Amino acid sequence: MILGLQLTAIIFALMMIYFALIHYKKGQLNGMEILSWITIWLVAMFIVAFPEILRTYAKAFFVTRVFDLMVIGGFILVITLVSAAYIRSKRTEKKLEELVRKLALRDTKKKK
Amino acid sequence: MRIFIVIPAHNEVKRIGLVLADAVKTKLPVVVVDDGSTDKTYEAAKSFKVTLLKHRINLGKGAALKTGCQAAFAMGAQAVVFLDSDGQHKMEDLPKFVRALNSGKYEVVFGSRNLNLGVPIERYMGNKLASILVNLLFKIYVSDLICGYRGLTKKAFKKLNWESTGYGVETEMVVRCGKLGLTHCEVPVATVYYDKFKGVSILDALGILLDVFRWRITK
Repeated sequence: MILGLQLTAIIFALMMIYFALIHYKKGQLNGMEILSWITIWLVAMFIVAFPEILRTYAKAFFVTRVFDLMVIGGFILVITLVSAAYIRSKRTEKKLEELVRKLALRDTKKKK
Repeated sequence: MRIFIVIPAHNEVKRIGLVLADAVKTKLPVVVVDDGSTDKTYEAAKSFKVTLLKHRINLGKGAALKTGCQAAFAMGAQAVVFLDSDGQHKMEDLPKFVRALNSGKYEVVFGSRNLNLGVPIERYMGNKLASILVNLLFKIYVSDLICGYRGLTKKAFKKLNWESTGYGVETEMVVRCGKLGLTHCEVPVATVYYDKFKGVSILDALGILLDVFRWRITK
């Protein structure tokens, strides 16, 4: 059962590395970003393959099972990424709005 | 007072012609903002003697009103009156806004639709509940929170400085008006509903409701 879960997680991580490489080839990710993503997924694969290495940390955080620690860590990571993506998209939205409005006003001035 | 009419428009090729034909008859300068229409709204508006602006992509009503106001005030307006481009607002009500703004007593003039004049009952009820909620949270009562027919002075525009880009703009104006203590009044306006599926949807209304609570906490 555990092995099945581990295999699924490793296949998922490999797929994510593949997708990251596609985005890198398309020029949507830069060198630093692709390196970060590959590192994150390799670390994730390593932890999934050898979960016992987290045992010490689980004890330190008073978490009984290693699996629970991984779930908590995953949640923290997801929440952080979603918050960062939200702030970025808001910022981009604002910039886009300003640009579109500026162009509309500039075009009117030109006509006159 | 130099008053301009500001009309935001999005995919209104069928009705914008009639609205502009009426608007130019008032002799007030008209500013039309085509908010990224994918139909021929821009071309339809071009044939009228109006100042025409175009958003290259659709940003929403709030953003279009902001652009329209910036253009109008840059051209020397001292106040603006907003009109919807779907023809639901009657030009006969315009003098009420002009009179209220010219009196110098009010910085913001809100149009208020009457139930007897064709507002669907579900919209009327939703609107009333929202008015009560805004009154409880912000100590300002405006009987028709989302009526797009309204006027404001240049000073009020600068103070209001709304951030909503979509349909939340009308409610945000009321909220900010209450918070800033701007002088305001309401004038009754007639409304004709042409299209059941345009304008503020239930999803928009829910979004606005969440915004109202957010504004209570953040502003």
